[in-house]
Amino acid sequence: MRNLSDQEIIDSVRKGNDSDYSIIVNRYKNKAFSMLKRMLKNEFEAEEILQDCFLKAYRSLNNFKGESKFSTWFYRIVYNSALTKLSSKKRKTESEMTSVEDHFNLESAYNTDEFEKADVSKLIQEIIGKLPERYSAVITMFYLNEMTIDEISEVMEISISNVKVMLHRSRNSLRDLILNSRLAEELI
Amino acid sequence: MIKITDEILNKYIDSELSQDEIEQVNLALRNSEELQKKFNALKLVHKELLNFREDEVSDSFTNILMKQIVIKKFVLPKQQKYFIASVAAFITLLCLVIFGFSISALISSAPTSVDHSKSIVDSISYMTDGFVGTIKKLFSGTGLSIIGSIFSIIVLISGYFFFEMQKRSKANLGNGHHL
Repeated sequence: MRNLSDQEIIDSVRKGNDSDYSIIVNRYKNKAFSMLKRMLKNEFEAEEILQDCFLKAYRSLNNFKGESKFSTWFYRIVYNSALTKLSSKKRKTESEMTSVEDHFNLESAYNTDEFEKADVSKLIQEIIGKLPERYSAVITMFYLNEMTIDEISEVMEISISNVKVMLHRSRNSLRDLILNSRLAEELI
Repeated sequence: MIKITDEILNKYIDSELSQDEIEQVNLALRNSEELQKKFNALKLVHKELLNFREDEVSDSFTNILMKQIVIKKFVLPKQQKYFIASVAAFITLLCLVIFGFSISALISSAPTSVDHSKSIVDSISYMTDGFVGTIKKLFSGTGLSIIGSIFSIIVLISGYFFFEMQKRSKANLGNGHHL
């Protein structure tokens, strides 16, 4: 049962086998949660929004035409829900969302000197959470959800080149953080 | 000779460069220690990101969600509840009007004094006959066509509102995600 494709599961749910929806839930819950947690910077809110996303997707299954992958369609719901939550919290995200030309400085937000060589992995994981919402979403979708640049641009409704710019910029800032830390000599 | 920028290094990592460009980057990396350091750091970031660990939701997440799905499936939407309640209220009101009309017609045609009737049983029997007669009158000829017309109008109006409600709820569910 677990080897069924997303489309096969969706067809089964549409036929009335509601319990099959739990396979979809188990398949995507942790990846979507990781994305939401990094975008919202809050674990509790991330889980709450994730529940809403799965309910929304369930109720809208009949609108899913299968023109794109289910994962792309679902992550679009997740991404839009996160943005709605963020805007409702009246965070100063509006300026960040309008352009990819925004600047962020991770070095001032993070002190790498506290970390040891063995902690690099942990350090990077933590720093992703410090990236602006859209940048952490790109990183999560690209590396964790293994989505292509095309799929990410479809989810975020931005151009492919903008996705690349965001991906490169996120990597470069992480790289600069390592280069400027006292660990640079040991690591590279 | 291309200029080795951050973008080029990122493209190199993502295997988006042509063979010619790759050779030029390799040459530049061999000749510049500074560039090599930058590239190694970028490669390290890329490698660490590939080992990205996913966070886990609470153990009961799926169970709670599936329970919510079952509950929501059997609970009528708010709009539908209001619609059914308003139709039921209208029909009840109409029945009450018919009943009231029948009673008033019956009372007006009933004997004015108890002295004229032989017994209470006769009186009840008379009232029942009168009630049945009034109902019969109401549901025959012109009365029936009036009631029929009223019900047709109710059905038409209800049908219109029901259709509108379905359209709205469909649009809400879609939420603009037509991928």
